[in-house]
Amino acid sequence: MKTETDNSVKYWRSMEAMQGREVPSSWPGEFPEGASERDEDFTRRDFMKLMGASFGLAGLGLLGVGCRRPEELIIPFGQQPENYIHGVPQYYASARPTRTGAVPIVVEANEGRPTKIEGNQEHPDSNGGTDLHTQASILDLYDPDRARGNRGKGNKTLNREAALKALDKLIKPGKIAILLGQNNSPSRARILTQLSGKAQVFTFEPIDDDIHRRGATAAFGKAVRPYYQLDKAATILSLDCDFIGGECDAHRHIRDFAKRRRKLDDNKMSRLYVAEARMTQTGANADHRLRVKAGAVHGIAAAIASRLGVGGLSEGTLPENVKKEWLDQCANDLRRGGVVMAGHGQPEAVHVLAHAINEKIGAIGESVLFHAAADDGLGSIADLAKASFDTLVIIGGNPAYNAPGDLKWADLIKGKSVVRLGYYDDESAKGADLFLAQTHFLEEWGDARTSDGTLVAIQPLIKPLFDGLSELEVLARIAGVSQTANEIVQATTGKSGNDWKHFLHKGFAVGTKAKPAVVGSVNTATAKSAPSVEENELEVIFARDYSVDDGSFANNGWCQELPDPITKITWDNAVLVSRVTAKDQGWTNGDRVLVEVGDHSVAGPVWIQPGQADGTLVLALGYGRETKGRIANFDGKQVGFNAHPLRPSGVPGFVVGTVKNAAGDPHNFACTQDHWSMEGRAIVREANFEGEDGYKKHKDFASHVGLDSKDHAKHTINPKTGKPYQIYKHPYDAKPELKNAEVQWGMAIDMNTCVGCSACVIACQSENNIPIVGKDQVERGREMSWLRIDRYYTGFGHHPSEGDTDDDKDQHTEAWIDDPQVVNQPMLCQHCESAPCESVCPVNATVHDDEGLNLMVYNRCIGTRYCSNNCAWKVRRFNFFDYNKRPLNALYKGPLASNKENDPTGWDLIKLIKNPEVTVRMRGVMEKCTYCVQRIEEAKIDRKREASREYKDAVARGEKDVTVSTKVAKGGVKTACQQACPAEAIVFGNMADPESEVSEAKKSERDYTVLGFLDTRPHTTYQARVRNPNLKVPGPVDHYYDKPLSSMEYEANAHGDEHHEENGHDKAHKEKD
Amino acid sequence: MSNVFPKWTNRLPLLVLVGGVLLGGGVVTGVSYYFTPKYTRVGYQPVQPVSFSHKIHANELGLDCRFCHNMVEQSAFSNIPAASTCMKCHSTVLADDARLKPVRDSFYGEDANHDGILQPKEDKNKNNQNDRPLLPWVQIHKTPDYVYFDHSVHVTRGISCVKCHGRVDLMDEVRHAKPLSMGFCLECHRNAHENVRPLDKVTDLGWEGDRDAHGNLYHFVDPKNGTSLTDRLGVKASENCSACHR
Repeated sequence: MKTETDNSVKYWRSMEAMQGREVPSSWPGEFPEGASERDEDFTRRDFMKLMGASFGLAGLGLLGVGCRRPEELIIPFGQQPENYIHGVPQYYASARPTRTGAVPIVVEANEGRPTKIEGNQEHPDSNGGTDLHTQASILDLYDPDRARGNRGKGNKTLNREAALKALDKLIKPGKIAILLGQNNSPSRARILTQLSGKAQVFTFEPIDDDIHRRGATAAFGKAVRPYYQLDKAATILSLDCDFIGGECDAHRHIRDFAKRRRKLDDNKMSRLYVAEARMTQTGANADHRLRVKAGAVHGIAAAIASRLGVGGLSEGTLPENVKKEWLDQCANDLRRGGVVMAGHGQPEAVHVLAHAINEKIGAIGESVLFHAAADDGLGSIADLAKASFDTLVIIGGNPAYNAPGDLKWADLIKGKSVVRLGYYDDESAKGADLFLAQTHFLEEWGDARTSDGTLVAIQPLIKPLFDGLSELEVLARIAGVSQTANEIVQATTGKSGNDWKHFLHKGFAVGTKAKPAVVGSVNTATAKSAPSVEENELEVIFARDYSVDDGSFANNGWCQELPDPITKITWDNAVLVSRVTAKDQGWTNGDRVLVEVGDHSVAGPVWIQPGQADGTLVLALGYGRETKGRIANFDGKQVGFNAHPLRPSGVPGFVVGTVKNAAGDPHNFACTQDHWSMEGRAIVREANFEGEDGYKKHKDFASHVGLDSKDHAKHTINPKTGKPYQIYKHPYDAKPELKNAEVQWGMAIDMNTCVGCSACVIACQSENNIPIVGKDQVERGREMSWLRIDRYYTGFGHHPSEGDTDDDKDQHTEAWIDDPQVVNQPMLCQHCESAPCESVCPVNATVHDDEGLNLMVYNRCIGTRYCSNNCAWKVRRFNFFDYNKRPLNALYKGPLASNKENDPTGWDLIKLIKNPEVTVRMRGVMEKCTYCVQRIEEAKIDRKREASREYKDAVARGEKDVTVSTKVAKGGVKTACQQACPAEAIVFGNMADPESEVSEAKKSERDYTVLGFLDTRPHTTYQARVRNPNLKVPGPVDHYYDKPLSSMEYEANAHGDEHHEENGHDKAHKEKD
Repeated sequence: MSNVFPKWTNRLPLLVLVGGVLLGGGVVTGVSYYFTPKYTRVGYQPVQPVSFSHKIHANELGLDCRFCHNMVEQSAFSNIPAASTCMKCHSTVLADDARLKPVRDSFYGEDANHDGILQPKEDKNKNNQNDRPLLPWVQIHKTPDYVYFDHSVHVTRGISCVKCHGRVDLMDEVRHAKPLSMGFCLECHRNAHENVRPLDKVTDLGWEGDRDAHGNLYHFVDPKNGTSLTDRLGVKASENCSACHR
């Protein structure tokens, strides 16, 4: 890796700089030994090229050794900084600010460059889990497309000081308006108070998380904000509230939700009712899901509220598919304790109703608390449109891209001078008189409060890479505050000396949790009516995108290539419609349509989404960017379409619109899972909590389904030997000495708590240097993620054996997809003991180690791909190209092609994110999940060093016959996916230790093996999922959910088509089941 | 019809065959000998920016390896000492020696009067930073990028520096003494008990092992009951790929 570059581009600074010491400018990365190569023109890769060439010329004479041994330099410090050990990563506590709070994090830095983000486990409101955006945000730091420096008039590059002086000049005369994004930094709020009289301040966010505060404030007549504690709710009713995915603080909700879902054996499992239009992650995890238009949610809320004794509400007419019994039972369950949550796309009235219900069922103070949250008093973007000003300072956000269309942004800034502080040179930076490069949150000082009220620190791990400025610095300059950002934050906290150090060390201020506010009774006066959508009208719903958010992650390759947790589409958004709507309009997937709302229209391709309400069009925000970013504008083509302008200002997340067909060839989607059904196979195993076939009565239900079930023993067990018929001979049977009796690594994944949030997928990508491959490669099935989440739909009346078609295309036309149940399954290398991949590798590139790991030895691999073909779980990934060596648009270039011509702006900045503990794979080798072998080795080495110290100490004390154990302690290794999982659904550890967490997890009666009948003895096992429906609630088609739909499919399909149809076979099993 | 080809051409196929075999054999022999780490690496002795002598420091003065390579027990890397480490002694010893100029420059930087404060007149390019010239040591020992060798776990577990680096304490200028090939690593991993030495002898490069009454080397902590140091320390040198390749 390069550490010295030309002086115009400064990638990182040394540790000295971080500790506030002086750093020589001629050596921007004063850098310790090992990773250094001074010679620009002769890198190791060049050496490998030459090496290859010299092999070719071997016969012509054995070359001298000179050219085969490049001179590499080791450059130590002039003065060694304290507490720095080369090769040992350093960890700093910080936080990632979000719109209404923050995610407490711990950041790993290798040789001064941040490489990995984890949750801060010590924070009082964190279990160390994170969300996918927090995991992905580190990639933004090294985004080659980020703004590289400040720019004044005539595109002149300005350093920090010059840029601030230019700012002074621009803001001096006339009236100033400032437009900000939302966050809750106390320091920012303090600086804003000093701006009064100097500037008018406005705020805008396209995703309106502030509605939760406004709703609660309207309900109680007091400035408060709800804080949900889902682990205390026996029943949860979500009114279009995607608390698992699209809402702020989702990772916290997932943690609490999982805590309660896990309580199977103390009979406390919670029940989730959802009323929503679009299939969300919350809907996917619902026990009962009502598919209604977003505009009908108010009616449902009112119906349930009046059942629970909230007076003065008229029910109005509810959609046809809403059954009285559903509402009654839901109200009944809520009466026994629970919580109601309203989503950010719903109008204030629905929020007030939710709080009214919460009050009636006694949820307040229990599963929902209220924290004081004063209005920041800032104007909205609509106020900005009416305000008069000469200079507009746009800080963060991206209004030129995502402002409501009716505001006519271009007209609004016409003739005004514009100062833009932005992370990218984006839409809002166009025509700016002064452009300031914004710092990443890992480069700046700041503070925030997490949703529980705890004050958290944001501290820089690295000096701004491109001379950027932070929001706080710019605001302070305008306000005339001469302190540095560091001093401002320190002054806000009022801490100094050791207090301040302690605060930074922990990352949060101990004991600053907010005290719940006492709230009175709910005033439902404003809740009587809400915008509604008639049955025959088309409803256009604007959704926060799971991967790119509102567009702020649009240039983040990990996010773009992350399959949407529901649609599994990468690199795109779509006009999502239901099967019935598509049929009515005569659409199929990929057809182009023009969606119109008022005067604005946007064209996009159609995608049929199971479980969506009829008569709705769901448009995910955040795509269709008009920037030069090579991810957001992949290969020169815009990714997706921009739905922001369609949305009028001041409306909730849905409006009435119209649609017509548009011209153009059908669109190709890069979808990673276009077959939706398990076809009745027992891949994901489920049972209801209650009922005849339920978990309570049959705790071992998971071992009664699938070909590996007890009931199938007569087919799978060889009567002569009493052992399973084997396809492969078990290596451990033949040579038991190959198995380390003390350590066998294994993983357990609890399907009951996994909600499919995809944080693990990005965490794995970040930890293991997994590249992205681009849309066209994903279309070819060449995505590289080691860990994927499979999402299956199961439906009423879906009987795969009854003349059903297996064609992926036809599944969109079938009625069973209208109201499906959804299951998610994280799928990664299973680390089989008798691994099919190993037996077919001709060069022993994939082999087993004695601790049960299925290893991939990259430098042995010759790329036959036999292993991938023979893997039944399809978890192996092949490097078809040099994804790590070239920009995505140059993949097809030959091995000797220069990167420079394709890469005028330093694409290789991205190389700085690599984890130094993991090999960066090259073209032509296979790769797959390693169980984070680098973390295992690290833990083993740590333990061994420790053991030696214990030995020495004991000998020094004069003890005799000292022996020490080198066994890694329980919980000593955490894989990246496990660490990121907010639900704690992934458990990893030593299976050979009966007391380890993973052994405990695998003891569960719900434990099963995917494709267990292959008898490959995987070390990854799953714990079957339990649904908790109220058996009295009818399903959508006059059925009751007396069994999960997947179990019904399984039975209908004669136990999966992977097996034979013998006489009486089905019958015998039906009786048993 | 005349003979187009002279008679000796009848032997051509044989000659081609024999010649091919000889040439092929020669190439194979050449490659397998000259392209091995032993040939390409052993003996590599680049010229360093400062003629530092390990022999003087480690042998004659008796400095422990860890005096300079002080983080070797904590990190995968054995650090090359910063100039500040050298200056601990050389601020007084040989303080004005011309050979040590690069070290002093790297330590003091623009601070020309060596008072620890950067005066404005010393700051040559007026950036308020003490710019220091680099001290570019040339790397001698290097494993390939796909090998994750960890110094700390070897030196804290009784593997001496000398096993991989040779008698550095007898070298004036360090050279590559051992091949550091995979075969070299495995040889030791397969016979860990013969290579693990008492923990206080790790940096004693000249230590040759204790001998029993018959003059044979032994590697036991306690020759009476036969427990070896490897057993005591729980050393199980892994031969799995995962030990070094991740």
